[in-house]
Amino acid sequence: MIKGKIIDHTSLIIMIFSYIIIWMLKTSFPEYSQMLTLLLYYIAIAQAYNIFLGMTGYVDFGYVSYFGLGLYGMALGVSYASQNNLSSSEAIILGMILSVILAGSVAGVVGGIALRLRGAFFAIATIGLSQALRYLIEGAKIWGGAEGIIIAKDLRKLFGEEGFSYATIILPDTGIFILAVATGIIMYLIRISRLGYGLLAIKEDEDAAKVFGVNTTLYKFVAFIISAVLTSLVGSMWTLKVTAIYPPESFNITFSVEFIVIVMLGGGGTVLGPLIGASIYSLSKYYLGVYLPGLQLTVFSIILLLIVLLFRQGIVGELRSFLYKHEIVRKIIR
Amino acid sequence: MDPGLIIFLFLQGLVLGSIYGIVAVGLSLIFGIARIINLSHGALIMWGAYTALTFFVGYNLSPLGSLFIAIVVGLSLGASIFYLVLRRLIGAHELTTLLATFALSIFLEEIARLNYGLDYRGFSWSLGVVKIFDYRLTYSSILAGVIALSTVIILTLFLYKTRIGSALRGVAQDPVGAYICGIDVNKIYALGIGIGFGLAMMSGVIITMYNPTGINPYLGAPYLLKSFVIVVLGGLGSIIGAYVGGIIFGLAEVVLFPLYDYLHFHSPMSMTLFTEFVILLILLLIRPYGLFRR
Amino acid sequence: MHLLEVNNVTKRFGGITALKNVSLYIDSGEKIAIIGPNGSGKTTLFNVINGVYIPEDGRIIYMGRDITKLSAHERAKLGIARAFQITRPFPGLSVRENVMIGALFGTLSEKINTREALKIADEMLKLVGLYNKRDELAIKLTGPERKLLELARALAMKPKILLLDEIVAGMPPAKVDEIVDLVKNVAERENIAVGVMVEHVIRAVIRFAERVYVLDRGEIVLSGKVEDVMRNPKLREIYLGTRFKGGV
Repeated sequence: MIKGKIIDHTSLIIMIFSYIIIWMLKTSFPEYSQMLTLLLYYIAIAQAYNIFLGMTGYVDFGYVSYFGLGLYGMALGVSYASQNNLSSSEAIILGMILSVILAGSVAGVVGGIALRLRGAFFAIATIGLSQALRYLIEGAKIWGGAEGIIIAKDLRKLFGEEGFSYATIILPDTGIFILAVATGIIMYLIRISRLGYGLLAIKEDEDAAKVFGVNTTLYKFVAFIISAVLTSLVGSMWTLKVTAIYPPESFNITFSVEFIVIVMLGGGGTVLGPLIGASIYSLSKYYLGVYLPGLQLTVFSIILLLIVLLFRQGIVGELRSFLYKHEIVRKIIR
Repeated sequence: MDPGLIIFLFLQGLVLGSIYGIVAVGLSLIFGIARIINLSHGALIMWGAYTALTFFVGYNLSPLGSLFIAIVVGLSLGASIFYLVLRRLIGAHELTTLLATFALSIFLEEIARLNYGLDYRGFSWSLGVVKIFDYRLTYSSILAGVIALSTVIILTLFLYKTRIGSALRGVAQDPVGAYICGIDVNKIYALGIGIGFGLAMMSGVIITMYNPTGINPYLGAPYLLKSFVIVVLGGLGSIIGAYVGGIIFGLAEVVLFPLYDYLHFHSPMSMTLFTEFVILLILLLIRPYGLFRR
Repeated sequence: MHLLEVNNVTKRFGGITALKNVSLYIDSGEKIAIIGPNGSGKTTLFNVINGVYIPEDGRIIYMGRDITKLSAHERAKLGIARAFQITRPFPGLSVRENVMIGALFGTLSEKINTREALKIADEMLKLVGLYNKRDELAIKLTGPERKLLELARALAMKPKILLLDEIVAGMPPAKVDEIVDLVKNVAERENIAVGVMVEHVIRAVIRFAERVYVLDRGEIVLSGKVEDVMRNPKLREIYLGTRFKGGV
């Protein structure tokens, strides 16, 4: 019984184990530290996006907005804290809360409205939204407008000169690691729960799902909010690393596509997909940058086309379908 | 307010709107026929602009000549892309065609960047200016608007008055039915997507007639985004709807910009764009299938 | 009180009236058949009953409650289950997961967890004879197997009413008898009311039903006990057209 139970959760164990190995590699080989942090960052966001994109099949091209709002939340929190002489931990907590509130409320409005649209119409609406946000910030000069927000000075003030590298490296790196693990666990719990089955039913056939009793509107909405909030938290950590944020980058659709590619490459709706997708993506991006500088995007566009044509279910998804007959494989590869 | 300015803005809005109309028509046509949102539309517009630039600078060919080159290149590119990639994706999940055309878009932009670099380029092709009260409008931009209008008329006639046109409409309505009637559906898809690509590239040339500067590899992105607003305005899939949507959009834009400027907004251009996307969102909510459809 | 009452329901699509003043009822545990030629409005009727469409006019009363405006998923939770004519399994999920979804979102819904849903799914799969295919992906099933899956998924919802669209269409007669007997047994054991909809007058189905409604061009033209309706000359007219009125 217990043995059967453990094997049922193998994919979760593999996932967490892999994250810990990545973390250990990162601490043991400082020269690869930044590359591995980038990997964890991609894993965390892809897993968060997987909860919505992978589970429901809805494409949100404006997904970057929730990351962007996370960036802004932390930047606003830190600059407010520095102006009002709050402590450094208060600044970080305030920043995270603001990120969650901003992303959560925007996702709430968008989810409540745009999720009534399907397919291409939903995709177009999300593009419109991310661009509207960007141009509102620039045009009405909200939050520094096009000049963005620079928080390096505030961080120096809050953490002191000697605490600066803690604030911009150790703290965000640890935060991203914790978020990667937490997002993975949340995704796994969703996948094996009623919510997960409901979402998969929506992805497979939304009208049939409704007839079989799935409250499709509610389920999509819940997945959307969870996904957006988790991504915003990754964004809030990322602000500490970059220390300066600008509207065009914060709402750049290309980033949304980057996240979509990772989820699709690994396999949407699978628990291990984001780990595999992010690993392949970030490693190849890194080495393409070294060996074929300037050609990364060209190569990626071709890879993306090949995924779409040859592995529609992504690597993990295809592998699972291919080996579905074997019970052991079904349990390990999720 | 100066009545001359109002008349001028109206005329300028019509010209700009006509151009926006032709920019959006290709996107709407491809969706209408193959149910594909062509995210490479913007990149094709950009390549149209580079076509005009290259032939003007290299061979002293006026953009009027480049129009034909752009159509032919777009047509063959569209048909090839269909047979190589999109044919396998017809009827698949929308996500797959969105990603495939996005990949194509990145590819086309990257080729342009590697070939031409990131500099803003331009050329000067002038037919003189016409004075409307105290304001100036270039003849070439008026010509651009007229060419856009004629193209839409020709396209409509082609769709409604010819045999191939009715085959295109048949496939748009019901591909299975069209297949049963003996139409080679794949050929029609290839043709439809080819025409859509051709129109996109051609509209890139037309854009340079309105404004022959600021050509760079990412020129297409704002036009793609605006095209979304326009096609949703006119009803995704409708040709005439897209053109009329373009006119409305052009008129709105020439009013919004000075308005935000007058209201002392920090960046009137950004506010104009903001308003456009808000309109898109509202439209998608209240009339996702266009203003003119029942 | 009837289990389900459809009162004067009218449903239009643009200018076409698909259902005109349709009224019918079904009692708890009762089995009825709805027959009618292609395009007579049978599918629309089922869609109105289970909430895919909201009618323009009329009311639907289920267990004494007006459910006319309830959405499909709410009705599913109240116990109205449906098996589609054109089978719609969730193709990328396993057979077992498909049936599990029925159990997870049916009338038991919040009362059971995924483990219990799995148990119910296995029971239903044994019942319809798909248990040894439980770990196949649904997309790999054959046509008749998909119909059985459709049935198992609907039964896993533990419904009070089961609406079956043409469940036996395109099946060999022996298989038809088998499925009809299967539905009959389960329905009697679990006191499920069954509405079957068929295009043609199939003996097995008629034998199964207690009452029949005949639908033609969106209207109920005949109803009553099976043998009475079968003897009515009007039925022949509907199927053969008035041209043959005197001839046959």
